[in-house]
Amino acid sequence: MLSFVTRRIAAALGTLLLASVLVFLAVQALPGDVATQVLGKDATPDAVAALRGQLGLDRPAWERYADWVGGALHGDFGTSLVSGKAVGGEVAAYLGNSALIALVTVLFAVTGSIVLGVLAGLYRDRWPDHLISTASLVGMSVPEFVVATVLVLCFSVALPWFPAVVLYGPEASVGQLLPAVWLPALSLAVVMAAYIVRMARTSVIDVMASEYVTTARLKGLSTWRVVTRHALPSALLPTLHVIALNVAWLVGGVAVVENVFNYPGVGKLLLSSVQNRDLPVIQAVALVSAVVYVTCNLAADLGAMALNPKLRTRGRTR
Amino acid sequence: MTTLDTAPVAVPAPAPARAVRAWRTLRSSRAAVIGLSVVAVHVLIALLAPLLTSYDPIANSAGEALLGPSAQHWAGTDQYGRDVLARVLYGGRYALGVSLTATLLTVALGTVIGCAAALRGGRFDNVLGRVLDAVLSVPAILSLLVVVTALGTGPSVIVLAIAVVYVPQVVRVVRGAALAVVPQDYVTAARARGEGTWAILRREILPNITDVVCVEFAMRASWVVLLISSLSFLGFGADPPTPDWGLMVAENRTAITVVPMASLAPIIALATLVVGLNLAADGLSKAWGVDRIREGS
Amino acid sequence: MTPIVSVNSLSVAYRSGGRDVPVVHEVSLEVTKGRTLALVGESGSGKSTVAATLLGHLRYGSRITGGSVHIKGSDVFALSARELRRLRGGTVAMVTQNAGHALTPSMRIGRQIAEAGGDIPVTDLLEQVRLPRPAELARRYPHELSGGQQQRVAIAMAIAARPEVLVLDEPTTGLDVVTQRGVLDLISGLRDELGLAAVLVSHDLGVVAHLADEVTVLRSGRIVESAPTRTLFATPHDPYTRKLLASVPRLDDAGLALVGEAGEREVRPRAQVPANAPVAVSARDVTIDYGSSRAVHGVSFDVRRGEVLALVGESGSGKSTLAWTLAGLRTPSGGTLTHESGDLARPAERRPLSLRRRVQLVFQNADTSLNPRRSVGDAVRRPLRLFGTAQSPAEAEGRARKLISDVRLDPALADRLPAQLSGGQRQRIGIARALAGEPDVLIADEITTALDVSVQAEVLRLLDDLRRERHLACLFISHDLAVVRGIADRVAVLRHGVVVEEGPTEAVFASPGHPYTRQLMAAALEPDPDAQPPGDEATGWADAAEPDDLWTNHGDGHRVRRWRPALLEGNP
Repeated sequence: MLSFVTRRIAAALGTLLLASVLVFLAVQALPGDVATQVLGKDATPDAVAALRGQLGLDRPAWERYADWVGGALHGDFGTSLVSGKAVGGEVAAYLGNSALIALVTVLFAVTGSIVLGVLAGLYRDRWPDHLISTASLVGMSVPEFVVATVLVLCFSVALPWFPAVVLYGPEASVGQLLPAVWLPALSLAVVMAAYIVRMARTSVIDVMASEYVTTARLKGLSTWRVVTRHALPSALLPTLHVIALNVAWLVGGVAVVENVFNYPGVGKLLLSSVQNRDLPVIQAVALVSAVVYVTCNLAADLGAMALNPKLRTRGRTR
Repeated sequence: MTTLDTAPVAVPAPAPARAVRAWRTLRSSRAAVIGLSVVAVHVLIALLAPLLTSYDPIANSAGEALLGPSAQHWAGTDQYGRDVLARVLYGGRYALGVSLTATLLTVALGTVIGCAAALRGGRFDNVLGRVLDAVLSVPAILSLLVVVTALGTGPSVIVLAIAVVYVPQVVRVVRGAALAVVPQDYVTAARARGEGTWAILRREILPNITDVVCVEFAMRASWVVLLISSLSFLGFGADPPTPDWGLMVAENRTAITVVPMASLAPIIALATLVVGLNLAADGLSKAWGVDRIREGS
Repeated sequence: MTPIVSVNSLSVAYRSGGRDVPVVHEVSLEVTKGRTLALVGESGSGKSTVAATLLGHLRYGSRITGGSVHIKGSDVFALSARELRRLRGGTVAMVTQNAGHALTPSMRIGRQIAEAGGDIPVTDLLEQVRLPRPAELARRYPHELSGGQQQRVAIAMAIAARPEVLVLDEPTTGLDVVTQRGVLDLISGLRDELGLAAVLVSHDLGVVAHLADEVTVLRSGRIVESAPTRTLFATPHDPYTRKLLASVPRLDDAGLALVGEAGEREVRPRAQVPANAPVAVSARDVTIDYGSSRAVHGVSFDVRRGEVLALVGESGSGKSTLAWTLAGLRTPSGGTLTHESGDLARPAERRPLSLRRRVQLVFQNADTSLNPRRSVGDAVRRPLRLFGTAQSPAEAEGRARKLISDVRLDPALADRLPAQLSGGQRQRIGIARALAGEPDVLIADEITTALDVSVQAEVLRLLDDLRRERHLACLFISHDLAVVRGIADRVAVLRHGVVVEEGPTEAVFASPGHPYTRQLMAAALEPDPDAQPPGDEATGWADAAEPDDLWTNHGDGHRVRRWRPALLEGNP
């Protein structure tokens, strides 16, 4: 079991290393190097060369990569080409704001969708299932910017309960941002929940049809006990992985929704840095998203292992 | 038993052609039929748009800006006085054209790589898995943005970019499906006969995963449509004044209280197309018994 | 005495594609306290469906279309949810076929038994089903137990609330013979001790003869015949019952039993293998490893043309590993494996075409060995083309039809998909495919295990015909001694990858020399209620083979691996 955990963690680190190489290479491939970006198109070749030397751009790529990764390990991602501030601190500020949205989203989406998914699975082919399945199909089919727009229309315009746009910058306090968190989080939660609901439903149906659930029923147990003790522990395991995968999607979804609400999060930072070709920031955001993705998947794997006696007790003798 | 020594010869019905069988199972699922019809209607509308409306979707007409629905403009006009209905009808061309091409490319590449990984296994499979995981760990929209920034927003660039971000996911699905086929005895039998890798792939594995690939195509297409519209919405996809649904929502969102139809019409078009694709994917997977769990998210 | 279980003209239908498909048709039966009724039938007979109705359970999509089920006088399908739970928790309990699937994987054994109700402590229950170290076992998860142990846990769970009726749905199918015997003895002991009424569902007439007081034979959802066990086995009335009984291979058959349509039985004498028949395959000290564990330890044998050598053993004996290695799907880690025309130690893809086609494998499960998307004709044509036995597509077509009729099937079936054929027909196609390369060695890996008993008899006969017609050297892998008895010329008994006894079939069956062989034979159940198990029960023994003195010879090639008596090793 211990060797499984170490192997899994090693694999995650390997993936992360590979991802960092990919990110680095992809950003290197962007046309126009940093020096021309900073100095503008009219700069003399001498000035560009001087700046390249100063920034270390004349060194071989692998050396710059090693520098970048080495710095990143200490939280040093270089300086932003636009604001001139340290990228690490800037990304951290935006990231914190996004984390607020993500937290609320995951909380909404996971609890709501598991309840609905399990309900749909238990009432398979009856009206609660039809209702929930149809709703989740619609939820899946509508892009997050549409959900966001509709929510604004309902809860900012028609009923002025929540702000439609955020007027604060990245340094806003949690208290200032809190009223603005709900609508973006809800838009993301609707789309995210749609997937988890479907997953949970399928997996509940499969498990409810299994022989051991039939056996438990034939033991004369109450439906509640059959569902909670026998079915759910196995049914929810695969859902764990879907949730983890959805977190990766969340990072992308956040970019769109934050833009709709002008919310000062990492998604908005990403868009503006892409527009301004602020390469160090793009690199940092990409790397941070990769870390988030890999960590979530690692957590899902380890969580599944902790919950699954077959994996947990591996290596124990008969 | 219809054995010769125990029973007289029973004349069996010849097996219907594979396509006929596939069509029969498909028809048994109402969801699949409805979904595919919706998609077909969208394709027809996109092709026949010039016949369905007399308005030019990109012609500005400042005097007719921000009108509500009327007999002349069924869905009203936007801030530049363009007919919303015409833009919605033409809008499917970009969305469908780019997403179908992109999906086709993605699924084709993913199928080949996925099958090869499942069949070869070993180190090839391991290394591939690592690389794909690394690609997957960067959010799709971020990779798209980087590619688009680097190479511009031409349709071919977007097709390519989508292939880059979605091929890993298709590979995962196809590899999973193929892995379920590889240990089957009929594949083992082919190995015992000493068949080559390509023959096993073509004769034994591909015919048994076509259903998975079809479902994957429908589902992936819905994702691609959503992704492209998000991209357009953010201003990185279709260039104005191209009629595109995502772009239209972005343009008309600020005026949503004045002319709600200008935002709602493209939203409805987009949503019906994706609902259609999702219904098709759902219906197909149910009719063919494709396991959705394997496909994860 | 009033019956405790009474089923009155019960009909059940399954809804499929908008139509009702009848599964059970007007079945009636009664069981009184202390008696055991067996429901016997082949696949699709509806026996399990009837059994499950005793607990008020129907498969998803099924419904009662007529009749009723009464337990202790109350109509099961008219009970309220609460009363139904009480029935299931108290009056009727069930043991299903595969305990590995019937136990919840995420719950400890002890809790699963405890929640079945009753006030008997879990450890007492585990002791009652004769499981060792009950206190420790109760804390285990199902996957940490062996198949036999899982089945015993399922039984403990069933008797926890001291029910009055026990429903046993194929309770030992899938277990090794020795384990099966232990579980059956346990069941009959508990039944007598607790005075239970029991309904036993089984396809295995040996199990039925051993346990049941009365037998009801089902076919396609209808009752064919119903009689007390002794009467039924002695004088079966219905032709179907007679055929069923005649099809069961027996340990005392001197050759292969040929079964007629009306159930007449004729034992065909064994084919004589000419003394000068060439050796087709020869294995010398073959060892095979799976990673770091060794599955086969130094096995040697010869198979001559026209001869059937049976490899017999329980699961994990390495018999299928040997078969696959011979077919070129694994490579041996030591020893030599040769065919008269080349080296078989190499994997299939590195064998020359001429050698590859001459050694062919038939798989255990014909359902999975044929590509579901390709017609069965295609399955036979492919090797014809690949091995160059047929030069043109037209010739391949003709020869494929010929091969299909050679395995006693209608050539018109060639256009069908495997799913449109019955299990027996599929297995014949599997044999036809293996014959396409015109092999001289045929490896049959448990080819009748998944088949119903009447179909098994037909496939065995086909195999026996083919080896006579084509002088095939045949390696017949099986776990079933009775099947082997009829078809094999020589037998090798494998245990944990080691041959413990080998010799001519007659000699081995007449005087088994190794205690393990004797144990296997004792555990085999004859379809005869009065049969006494041959030989004594398992004696303890230990391996006593020395590297240079492995065998005791009993003459005529019958030899037994050296052993010595020892204390009984941990045999529960």
